[in-house]
Amino acid sequence: MAGSDNKKAVRDYISRMPSLPVTVSKVLEVCNNPKTSPIDLDKVIQLDPVLMGRVLKLINSAYYGLGTQVTSLARAIIMLGINTVKNLALSTAVIDRFVDKGAFHALNMDGFWRHSLCVGVTAKHLAKRRGVEPTLIEEYFAAGLLHDIGKIPLNNALASEYVRTMALADHERIPLFLAEKRVLDLDHSEAGFVVAESWKFSGAIADAIAFHHTHESYHGDHGDVVRTVAIANYFANREGIGFSGNRYPDKPGPEVYGLLDMEKSMLEEIEDQVQADIEKAKVFLKLGA
Amino acid sequence: MFTLTIWGSRGSMPTPGPDTVLFGGNTACLEIRAGKKLVIIDAGSGIRGLGDKLVREDLKHGPIEADIFITHTHWDHIMGFPMFTPIYIPGTKLRLHGPITYEEDSLEKVIGSQLSYRYWPVRQDELAAKIEYEQIKETTMELGEGLTVKTKYLNHPVLCLGYRFEYEGKSIVTAYDTEPFRNVFPSDPADPSYDEAYAIEGDKAALEENEKLFQFYRGADLMVHDSQYTAKEYHSGKMGFGHSSYEFAINAAHRASVKQVLLFHHDPNRSDAELQELELFYQGKTEGRTGVRLEMAREGRTWQVQGDSA
Repeated sequence: MAGSDNKKAVRDYISRMPSLPVTVSKVLEVCNNPKTSPIDLDKVIQLDPVLMGRVLKLINSAYYGLGTQVTSLARAIIMLGINTVKNLALSTAVIDRFVDKGAFHALNMDGFWRHSLCVGVTAKHLAKRRGVEPTLIEEYFAAGLLHDIGKIPLNNALASEYVRTMALADHERIPLFLAEKRVLDLDHSEAGFVVAESWKFSGAIADAIAFHHTHESYHGDHGDVVRTVAIANYFANREGIGFSGNRYPDKPGPEVYGLLDMEKSMLEEIEDQVQADIEKAKVFLKLGA
Repeated sequence: MFTLTIWGSRGSMPTPGPDTVLFGGNTACLEIRAGKKLVIIDAGSGIRGLGDKLVREDLKHGPIEADIFITHTHWDHIMGFPMFTPIYIPGTKLRLHGPITYEEDSLEKVIGSQLSYRYWPVRQDELAAKIEYEQIKETTMELGEGLTVKTKYLNHPVLCLGYRFEYEGKSIVTAYDTEPFRNVFPSDPADPSYDEAYAIEGDKAALEENEKLFQFYRGADLMVHDSQYTAKEYHSGKMGFGHSSYEFAINAAHRASVKQVLLFHHDPNRSDAELQELELFYQGKTEGRTGVRLEMAREGRTWQVQGDSA
């Protein structure tokens, strides 16, 4: 299929994109409990890129046209109210029932989830360590959590083509996004941007989704977030925390660290915190090792 | 002429009976007249009486034409729609505006599906009136004849809009169903789930959202505000239900320099005697301390905002 047909397939898939299987049972548990605390609700949404995306979409499409964008989940919960967010989460979780579970998919969603979470948590800790203002930290997390969102429609709406794509990347030892471009004429950053448009994202989150592999040519206003996500993405791949299909990741050059005014060693310094946060998430979701 | 008439002021469920004669038992419905324009806010059970009046008094001057603004789609705000007689009269033109939920269903489906055989003997397709549905968000709209409406999201368990109508320099604001925005995240560092970033962001968001509400209310000549509870009731288990206390409504009106506030969305368990007692209590408590005139919303009464007496 040509890139434009693939884009259409991605677009058609977005409205029925389900929560990730790994978070679904916890979403149902938390949201079906009338006494759920806002913190638990926040926690469970933060652990699911699809849910996080849909909540932010709702707040932004409901409240704002152009200009200001809400990227904070805390603010979204306060503005929309706990019940609206809970019901939205439930409706997203329930879509899972309609997904064709028989099809073979290239990407394992459990690995994808761990990778996404790791990039979000790493981006957050890097931002904290670099002294970013506390109210902006959540945007780094959201951008990291969502950076690979374009892989979900590729993996599900173009399942057989995506198996071939990953085989090509492995065979030629190239980064996955280059293989995607060759097989699908559409890489996950572009597919992610289609998702971002549909979810009414602009600003840092949309740019991190669209430019985390092409950050060197990025000249927009959110370079700090985009570059942090690119480094966090490399870190997650290098450490093998989760798996998002990219066995041969592109390595950010020293100038990227320079632009962020950070030493490479900062990654080692936050490693324990990142692992601890992922462990906490696993305990919360009652996952095994 | 710029007037507001209340056809239903009760919250949650119609409450007919001897205890609700004075303030009324019908659920939300307001009629606004601005020159020749007719605007209806909400289609609670009160809209039945309004529809009958329109047929009786307006129809002889020509077909009925109105903009209906739904604050939100909770049942007490839409339940009267099937009994709004003008929808059965050929020539009636209605533009029905309102917010929808996060669900993908359209406003037409949410409201119009009350007119299906399982609920009602007439189907939506069989209606004689021409009805256009428009889903709206935060916006400003020109309604013609110099009447404009500005909308603002409120704080209720489903998306809910407040409306500010402006006509010839005067304004009528509706602010129901709503409660004050608040930080729902722990702000006490001793709390085991305390998170500094959330505590800060939560406080900031609540403060900013309430400030936006006050800006929306600012200088209104007449405001209809949710006040289902006393502050004591609100703080004893009603927080998060999406309704305000009398105290919040009055303080918000004072802070926004509103001239007159009608306390609205009476709790279904509140009798006429209790509402009268509360009205006297709050009027007495605020006397000399604020420029805001306040009273309980009464079904069947008209308030004149501009022009000669109706």
